[in-house]
Amino acid sequence: MTPMRRMVLSRLAQVPLILLAVYTLTFALAWLIPGNPLQRDEGRRPPAAIAEAMQAQWNLDDPWTFYWSYLGDVSGVSWLLGDRTGAVLEFGPSLRHENWTVGEIISGQLPVSMTLGLAAMVLAVVGGVTLGTLGGLRPDTWVDRLTGSVAVIGVSIPAFVIGTALLMAGGVWLEWFPIGGWGSWRHLLLPAVALSLPFAAWIARLTRQGVIEEMRADYVRTARAKGLPEHTVVTRHVLPNALLPVLSYLGPATAAALTGSFVIEKVFAIPGLGMHFVDAVLGKDLTMIMGIVLVYSTMLVLLNLAVDVLYAWVDPRITVGAAS
Amino acid sequence: MVRLLSIPVVLLAVMLALLLLERGEERADLVLASDNEIFTLDPQRMSWLGDMRMAYALYEGLVRWNPEDFTIQPAVARSWTVSDDGLTWTFQLDPDAVWSDGAPVTAHDFVWAWKRLLLPDTAADYSNLLFAVQGARELLMWRSEQLAGFSPSPGAAEALLAETDRRFDASVGIRAVGPHRLELQLVHPVPYLLDLLAFAPLMPVYRPAVEGWTLDQATWDAARRDGWHTINPPPWSQRGFVEVSESTGRLQPDHRWARPGTLVGNGPYVLDTWRYRRDLRLVRRPEGSQADEGMPDHILLRSFPDPNTALLAFRSGEVDWLTGVSSDVRRDLLDQAATGVDGDEPRLTRSIHAIPAYGTDFFSFNCRPTLTSGLPNPFSDAAVRRAFALATDKQSIVDHVTGLREPVASTMTPPRSISGYTPPQGLGHDPDRAVDELASAGWYRDADGTLADAAGTPFPSVELLYTTSSPRHRRIAAALRDQWSKALGVDVHLVSKDSKAFGADLRAGDFMIARGRWYGDWGDPTTFLELFRSTDGNNDRGFVDADIDAALAAAAAERDAPTRMNMLAAIEQSLFQEHMPLLPICQIVEVTMHDPTALSGMTTHPRLVQYLGDVRILQDQHP
Repeated sequence: MTPMRRMVLSRLAQVPLILLAVYTLTFALAWLIPGNPLQRDEGRRPPAAIAEAMQAQWNLDDPWTFYWSYLGDVSGVSWLLGDRTGAVLEFGPSLRHENWTVGEIISGQLPVSMTLGLAAMVLAVVGGVTLGTLGGLRPDTWVDRLTGSVAVIGVSIPAFVIGTALLMAGGVWLEWFPIGGWGSWRHLLLPAVALSLPFAAWIARLTRQGVIEEMRADYVRTARAKGLPEHTVVTRHVLPNALLPVLSYLGPATAAALTGSFVIEKVFAIPGLGMHFVDAVLGKDLTMIMGIVLVYSTMLVLLNLAVDVLYAWVDPRITVGAAS
Repeated sequence: MVRLLSIPVVLLAVMLALLLLERGEERADLVLASDNEIFTLDPQRMSWLGDMRMAYALYEGLVRWNPEDFTIQPAVARSWTVSDDGLTWTFQLDPDAVWSDGAPVTAHDFVWAWKRLLLPDTAADYSNLLFAVQGARELLMWRSEQLAGFSPSPGAAEALLAETDRRFDASVGIRAVGPHRLELQLVHPVPYLLDLLAFAPLMPVYRPAVEGWTLDQATWDAARRDGWHTINPPPWSQRGFVEVSESTGRLQPDHRWARPGTLVGNGPYVLDTWRYRRDLRLVRRPEGSQADEGMPDHILLRSFPDPNTALLAFRSGEVDWLTGVSSDVRRDLLDQAATGVDGDEPRLTRSIHAIPAYGTDFFSFNCRPTLTSGLPNPFSDAAVRRAFALATDKQSIVDHVTGLREPVASTMTPPRSISGYTPPQGLGHDPDRAVDELASAGWYRDADGTLADAAGTPFPSVELLYTTSSPRHRRIAAALRDQWSKALGVDVHLVSKDSKAFGADLRAGDFMIARGRWYGDWGDPTTFLELFRSTDGNNDRGFVDADIDAALAAAAAERDAPTRMNMLAAIEQSLFQEHMPLLPICQIVEVTMHDPTALSGMTTHPRLVQYLGDVRILQDQHP
């Protein structure tokens, strides 16, 4: 077995253990949120008998029962044991939006967050690498200062300001884009731009740094000496090496972008998972919290693994697992 | 380099594929936007105003309100009679009323929906709405006790359910006397019964849809022709949305029936699509009257969690009607609308509406003798509560702090909201009298202005609890702190909590003064005044007064309507001139946006129930 395969298999074998730890920790934290997901915080309250009936219906009166029965449902164990029919992995109904199951909500909203995140990452990579390369090739000139200040702006202005400004300009004044909502590339562009800015700025910094360093390397002098035109030197020799730090940044950055941005989703009225996760926590929607956290954790673990594999694939000098 | 470039290319391809799976929104005749989420479309499970607005489009009750003055109009019930003692109501139902699947709406639909509302298995917030019905409360309590002591054994759950049904039929005063005749038997007269019957939780539901019946075609045909009550219900295994739990004895509902394709209603609209916290589309029932010129055929409800974005969508014309507009969003528009000055965007200025609603913002005093810390509670003394009320300048709060210029409130019941009832005057702003009241309670301002008792012990530091849900609450709390410390010399500090923690503190009585807000549910002062009954489940203040309890009971027994209203007004006057269990601040004002040159039929009554089928589109705004 190659070291690569061994690494992948052993990392995959750890996934259930990681998820069990995440499940337990999240459950403990979520249970500690004060209040009751089924109760309104304000307004008329039902008779005491009804409140108790609600609690009992969803095992909210007993953390142990909830912990074990829900663990059985989400892990598929209760399905294997034949206690339950239907889907193998069952997240149950949302406690606050009872007409929906958590599984339906996640499968409906996660692709939205992922599409937006991917679009933002594409924009961030294209924009960031371009800006960074331009700046890195001409360090400390006006080009560098201009691209540098664009990057600083991207990092420092809060997303809700950028988002509202984009909506105002693109939606209200120019009327090119719809205000909020989801369903076509026109809905996607403005939020993707807003979400990409901080990532693009960081990628620009990494690229600039990489380009400056690589331009001083001996192989660049060799390439020039054998008469290669400058653009070939940059694209063939400098960039592939300068961009390796960007690639390792892309793993966690993509994971962060894919799991949804609370602020961007809220400002652009995008039905993604990021916003609903925050609301689920505020509303103590236990099944939603557990479901989303488990799906997120699975995604993060798998994405990190994918980046490690990709890293070795892009740069054959790196041999995974050999060091350890 | 090729390998490096392939990564963004693959990402791009995945993204495009995901985008192709999405379906865009078509513009509907009427587009509503709200930050309020729809929690459920099951009327018996509803408690939010946003949900109920949908219920009034999807279902129709026995009666409905006239949106002008909230008097009662016939709906499914064509006519009704009431016995001389006010205890027996008989409703004659419209024989032509049909469910959206074509089945007749019968008295059995109401009986079943109301039984469902009552049973603890449904766990309805409003299960006590029908407690005035003979045997209703007893049935709920009986089944709750049975379920609490349930011990699993084969067949026990179904036996308990059969016994529940038997008891309901034998002892609860809700009966179908023939397919289109419904009889209600009350324990005591309820003058506002018809108003209750117009309320969303009492809408009928279609049992075969709610339980997800599987039937063969011939049986379906019979059910659609004569009503489901004429056929035998399928066995439990063939009811997709409910099961009888062998381990708990409960009916375990699957709420997914209330979605497109399976939801069957009897209202003017049917549910076409519903995407979780995204949008919801209603389509007008084809058999509706063609005479309703301008009635929207398609209604789209869009979810905008950020009020600024919702306002931008209204400006761009994507949204026709906006509810729950925050006063922070466009104070300039509200000022222009109030002063009649057109701004640079006349459509926005004429579109903003600030409507005094059927609710009151207030601060609750903890009236219990001791605080949860065990210390004596200064607010258990009514004189101290009166002093804090008299020291409050509500007018300055609505003028300078909230920005909405709400009508200030000195009592709970909003003025001009209930026909036949004029709320009395409570205590006003009188700082001098406030000082006298404190003196009568044994608290005096000493030389350096701080409040202390005769022995020099300072007045306890007052905790003012509010929720972080809106900046409005923080601003009002800060204004009260300043007013009280200036007028009374007390030390006030603000405590903010998120709404879950706040709610828990409130229920536990763990506060000194806490913000509160109450909307009336039915058109009678008791929807506000019953909060002050010592045994009421919503008595967060721990307010106990035997005279008020007795007066409320006496008013409930009074048969003459004007006399009863006078008795209730006397109770409210006593509450807010003497007892002051809570400090009313102002009537709640709802800010909405719609262009009156484009839409008509929008209610401005404080009750603010908007039947979507009453909206008329005056012109095409979007040529």
